[in-house]
Amino acid sequence: MTPQGTLKRTGSASDPLWYKDAIIYELHVRAFADSNNDGIGDFPGLMQKLDYLQDLGVTCLWVLPFFPSPLRDDGYDIADYMTVHPSYGTLDDFKAFLSAAHERGLQVMIELVINHSSDQHPWFQRARHAPPGSPERDFYVWSDTDHKYEDARIIFTDTEKSNWTWDPVAHAYFWHRFFSHQPDLNYDNPQVIEEVIKILRFWLDMGVDALRLDAIPYIVEREGTNCENLPETHAVIKKIRAAMDEGYRNRVILAEANQWPTDVRPYFGDGDECHMAFHFPLMPRIYMALRQEDRLPITEIMAQTPEIPENCQWGLFLRNHDELTLEMVTDDERDYMYLAYSADPRMRINIGIRRRLAPLVDNNRRRIELLNSLLFSFPGTPILYYGDEIGMGDNIYLGDRNGVRTPMQWTADRNAGFSRANPAQLFSPVIMDPVWGYQALNVEAQQSDASSLLNWMRNMIALRKLFRVFGRGTQKFLPSANRKILAYVRQYENEQVLCVANLSRFAQPVQLDLSEFEGMTPVEMLGYVEFPTITKQPYSLTIGPYGFLWLEIQAASVTWDEPATATVSEPAAIEIGRSDDWETLFSGTNGERLQTSVLPEFLQRQRWFGGKSKEIHSVAVTDWCPFDEGQSALVLVAVEYSSGEIDTYFLPVTILSDDAAQSVRETNANAVIVPIRSAGGDGVLCDALLRESTCQALLSLISQQGTLQSEQGVIRGIPSSMFAQLMGDDTKLSARRSSAEQSNTSILFEDRLIMKCFRRQEFGPNPDTEIGRFLTERTQFRQIAPFGGSIEYARKGEPAATLAMLQGLVANEGDGWEWTLEDLERYFESSATGSLSGSALADDEYAAVREHAGIYLEAASTLGRRTAEMHLALASSEDVEDFRPEAVYAADLEALSRNLAEHATRSMELLKTNLSRLSDDAVEMGSLVMSRRREIIGRFKQLATVKSKLVRTRVHGDYHLGQVLRAKADFVILDFEGEPARPLAERRQKQLPIKDVAGMLRSFHYAAFSGLAKHTARRPEDYQQMEPWAKLWVTAVSGVFLQAYRETAGESPIVPATADDFRVVLDVYVLDKALYELGYELNNRPDWVRIPLSGILSLLS
Amino acid sequence: MPKSDLAEETKNDVEQAGPVDLLIGIAGAVNKDEMQQYLQNMNADLSATAQSSHVVVAYPGSSELESGEAERFAGAAGVNAPRFLQYSLPAGDPAVLPWTIASAAQKAICSLAVELDAKVCVLLHSDLAMLTPEKLRLFTSPVLEKACDLVVPVYPSRKFEGLLNHSILAPIARALYGQRVRYPLAQDLSCSARMCGKLSETDNTRERSESSLLWPTTQAALNSFQVCQVNVDVQHATQTEGLDLSTVLSSLVGSAYIEMETYAPFWQRVRGSHPPAVSGNAAQQINDGEPVDAKPLIDSFLLGSHNLQEVWGLVLPPVTLLELKKLARSSPEAFRMPDDLWVRIVYDFALAHRLRTMNRGHLMGALTPLYLGWVASYAQEVAGLSPFAAEQRFEQLARSYEEGKPYLVSRWRWPDRFNP
Repeated sequence: MTPQGTLKRTGSASDPLWYKDAIIYELHVRAFADSNNDGIGDFPGLMQKLDYLQDLGVTCLWVLPFFPSPLRDDGYDIADYMTVHPSYGTLDDFKAFLSAAHERGLQVMIELVINHSSDQHPWFQRARHAPPGSPERDFYVWSDTDHKYEDARIIFTDTEKSNWTWDPVAHAYFWHRFFSHQPDLNYDNPQVIEEVIKILRFWLDMGVDALRLDAIPYIVEREGTNCENLPETHAVIKKIRAAMDEGYRNRVILAEANQWPTDVRPYFGDGDECHMAFHFPLMPRIYMALRQEDRLPITEIMAQTPEIPENCQWGLFLRNHDELTLEMVTDDERDYMYLAYSADPRMRINIGIRRRLAPLVDNNRRRIELLNSLLFSFPGTPILYYGDEIGMGDNIYLGDRNGVRTPMQWTADRNAGFSRANPAQLFSPVIMDPVWGYQALNVEAQQSDASSLLNWMRNMIALRKLFRVFGRGTQKFLPSANRKILAYVRQYENEQVLCVANLSRFAQPVQLDLSEFEGMTPVEMLGYVEFPTITKQPYSLTIGPYGFLWLEIQAASVTWDEPATATVSEPAAIEIGRSDDWETLFSGTNGERLQTSVLPEFLQRQRWFGGKSKEIHSVAVTDWCPFDEGQSALVLVAVEYSSGEIDTYFLPVTILSDDAAQSVRETNANAVIVPIRSAGGDGVLCDALLRESTCQALLSLISQQGTLQSEQGVIRGIPSSMFAQLMGDDTKLSARRSSAEQSNTSILFEDRLIMKCFRRQEFGPNPDTEIGRFLTERTQFRQIAPFGGSIEYARKGEPAATLAMLQGLVANEGDGWEWTLEDLERYFESSATGSLSGSALADDEYAAVREHAGIYLEAASTLGRRTAEMHLALASSEDVEDFRPEAVYAADLEALSRNLAEHATRSMELLKTNLSRLSDDAVEMGSLVMSRRREIIGRFKQLATVKSKLVRTRVHGDYHLGQVLRAKADFVILDFEGEPARPLAERRQKQLPIKDVAGMLRSFHYAAFSGLAKHTARRPEDYQQMEPWAKLWVTAVSGVFLQAYRETAGESPIVPATADDFRVVLDVYVLDKALYELGYELNNRPDWVRIPLSGILSLLS
Repeated sequence: MPKSDLAEETKNDVEQAGPVDLLIGIAGAVNKDEMQQYLQNMNADLSATAQSSHVVVAYPGSSELESGEAERFAGAAGVNAPRFLQYSLPAGDPAVLPWTIASAAQKAICSLAVELDAKVCVLLHSDLAMLTPEKLRLFTSPVLEKACDLVVPVYPSRKFEGLLNHSILAPIARALYGQRVRYPLAQDLSCSARMCGKLSETDNTRERSESSLLWPTTQAALNSFQVCQVNVDVQHATQTEGLDLSTVLSSLVGSAYIEMETYAPFWQRVRGSHPPAVSGNAAQQINDGEPVDAKPLIDSFLLGSHNLQEVWGLVLPPVTLLELKKLARSSPEAFRMPDDLWVRIVYDFALAHRLRTMNRGHLMGALTPLYLGWVASYAQEVAGLSPFAAEQRFEQLARSYEEGKPYLVSRWRWPDRFNP
């Protein structure tokens, strides 16, 4: 029995995670509908409007405080927690409302304001009269002085000067984080928690579905802290949650914690505190991104948003009953927001802007729609504020935040149809101005207008509800050069949606890399319109001003009743007895046919096959073993070319039949090797990495340290010491093949692990595996994708080859190259108006580059530090021979100098041969370089002057911006395979670590000039003007990178001890790298040859 | 149906029943003598049918079998005889339509199957035409031998029977849920244990209870269960005899529309359709005899066209209205309603049903003359054709439903009245 003696009622939701799919609608009872014509909204009035809310499509009603209160803070000053304010009705009215809402499938959320009460609450009145130290007195926080907790900030800066107020009755100060009439409850008193839990049970027993915990970070105070987010606060929340879980199912707690995402994260606990929390910092940044026409504010805050437990959810909103809070922004951002969105100082209050959505965006319908499209498609539960669905305005001439709390505008009748009372009697005047007035802007009018915002909102809500991916899916931002475009992919189970939004007031083009969805078709979700099929090429879209696209990515459409036209014609079927009869398949006539015609044809179609330019003489199955309970086979094939060279490839195969075969024919025709006919029916032999069970079996091979005996050798799974940690508690992770396939094939195990299956096999340690394992298991360097294990293949007489490598999947914002290009676009845009002399870097130019590329300079410094840390880690072991640093002697330097000079000679010859083919602007630079041929080759001799003690170590080997990931304002270094074209032995050689440093410096140069070419593509005449800015950027970025690198490397012999020696070695390697690039561009992309040429000239100068 | 929903007496019987291999449920009032006769005739073959001897026959408690007679049946039939259980049906309302009663009975039988943990449950029409060992075997073997979850019948094709099914219900099931079944609201079917579980679970929220028809094929599609069809040579008496067509449309098509609304997130992602495995010999095709007189049907359409323009204007887009107008002007001999027009009409009415553009009863009333127009067009088109050719005609129509699905999805997702 409840305290009221009534039966405990269940909540209305049957799905425990209902809040993830919910659309929450926030409303004031007072402002919604008045049934008894006293000028104040009430529960019977609200009940009359439930059909409207159901029709709108919202699923959960968040009712703002409706408890007895002096109403000095819009009801957040509660004088009695267990009943209803008489103006709004009775407790029975509330129950009737709750029941009516539940009947319509609507959930109800109410407020649990537990940080403070009204000073009119009996608890406070009792406390101020009670003697100090008594339990009654201790319901609140008292002090003899107002100097305690001085580190706690004042929140309502406009009205309060202190968090303490003197109480003449108690003869003491009481603590309040908000208004002085709202004393904070004392959670150090166990009785307070008991009372709060009683209140919670009172409402949950009635059937309330959710509770919003108001101002939760402030409930506990401790000296020497800012009295926010304290551990003791979390202890209290856990108690509240435990009380809820103990007696109730499918109920929810929503935390109001206006904090940075990382500080909000603890409010989810381990899924044992709050189910939901508002994402406060996102909201102002959405407005900022819109005004600046730049996605960065949004992507940055999302990058800072941590993962939350599976059963938790963010609450997202554009506006609410409070001001548009600017607490969670920087000072500059706050100033910008004030300038951008509150021209009239009356629009400002406390640390924020008290305006509704429509007025904030100047009543521009497209902006309103764009912002709502973001709200509905970002990961979280959208929360709508009443009236915003019709674009209601505000009244900045009302005090406090009452300007956004005016009566709902239902009709053009008196009092906006809100009440039939005398207009003077209304709790607040309705909005009456010509633009926002209820005569023009009301529900009734919009219901009858098919093109109204209300109808648009209703359609959008209905559409969103069709797709669970919006409430539950992951979000991945897609990089693009145009920062006015925000593009992201949401994924959940088999649903994947691409969202593209144009933040600009003008139409914008964008090219997106959707190659991971190659072969699939985007279908525009609102109109179900099919877009062109995705290919490997960048996907081009043009989005209208403030436009947005939601595209459901579907398998390519299939003509019904007919098999999809495969991109390749299938050869005749091979017949075998059983579908697991691999012996019959690989031997005899079948084997012969596979080897002579089927496999050569299949290999030529594979993206990962590196021998496309060579003529295949034959393909032989050199070894195989059954796998995945006989459903697949792990096969090694030797490809012999007409030239006599032989490559070995790893080819797991499987036989699929029935629907699975049809599906692979339709969606991955390229992966089909040959049709198969067996006793079990018709099917296809295809790439086994399409089969989830095979992928799972590969993972199990590692986790179980399994061994498989093949015909000629042994296959072993070897987990790393970190495997268990990477795998987590799950025994099974769902697997899917990544469509971003290049020379290898990757399998993704949820968002946790990635297995790279190496296709071309070389016998001997794979440097990627070797270095990954070394760094993970033997060093503290953690800025890599953690190594999880490998699958090795060994056969007699040869060192083992690596078939697959497992790594932890790193959440990231894209690779360093794309990220850099994006930042450069911004840099060039912002610096376009300035001019530079192009001379040496003067102080004011440093200031200029700092102004325009400040964020990137910090990033470059971080990258320099991480690079040095990587090198120190690679040089840290004396025990492991393959990683033991080796001293470099003069003879070694001499040999190196000779090798590099030879390489330079070859490059210069190539340049000479191709000089006449170069474009006009490049030929001049080419000639200049040619004219300094002798000097260039001579440069390498300078290595002989180096006297510092040096060591050779294992290095990255192919280090550039494309090999790092930008992740959480830091970098993660990837891919230690070395340059794939070089032989294995060469890739495993120990080298001077500065080689990597040179690679990165050249990558900066490349990025700057690629970015410049892109920036000036439409206005080539600007190239000359902008080139000094590009050079300035390279110089500045390289400078901070090197400084951080050297500082971190310290005294280590991985770098020469003296600055001169460092410069000599670095210049030599940079020059060598530039010459390598010159050769590459001459052979492959002559249009790009200007970049290495300018690099070489710059080095010579 | 949760266990507690079963009648107390039934619950006691369930507890005594022990393990059950086959539950045969009679979905409607049954004649006592007839049932006795059938069971006595087939008793020896029942155990073979279920591959075991534990067979239970369930019949509605409100039937002519009086209390205590069930036991007498059992006693009379011998040691391996089936056990009998009664289940209760909701109190009979004369206004309740026969398929609503059948659906309620089917659901009750499925609940019983769950309670009994029956391996297979066969639900039969109360005319007992299917109650023969051969036919039972046809229904049970796909479940027992091919891991099929739902077996539905294909009745012999007739040109002028089951037109509502062929022109709306079956093609909707195919286009929306990808199930190419001939009779989505079959009166005979068999289910695996897990299928019974799903059918007994189907919720009865306020909105769904209005129709509360059981759509087994939809549930099978939702749960990715395997569906099979069996050819049977049985025909049941027409159920719509004597009923007002608007009422029939309201009930059957209205229920299909409610299903559409409930499962929109699912069917909008289904692409294409697949034919289920079919077993049993194709039944003989039956010639319906004299051609149907299309004139009164066309007259009804014309009357509707004259009186319901305003209502149709709220539901149908201008291009459809224009085509209907042209159709109204055509001579009776040339009266043909193109498939794509009919499909768009059915889909637009589905949307209006979802949006509550008008009272749903009135809405379905407005569909009636359009449906009669389609029937007239069809009757004239197939008048000289064989039943097989008519069947092909339905196949063609079903394809049009599939081809028109993007139209439905786009209208559903963005129901703007300003459309072509």
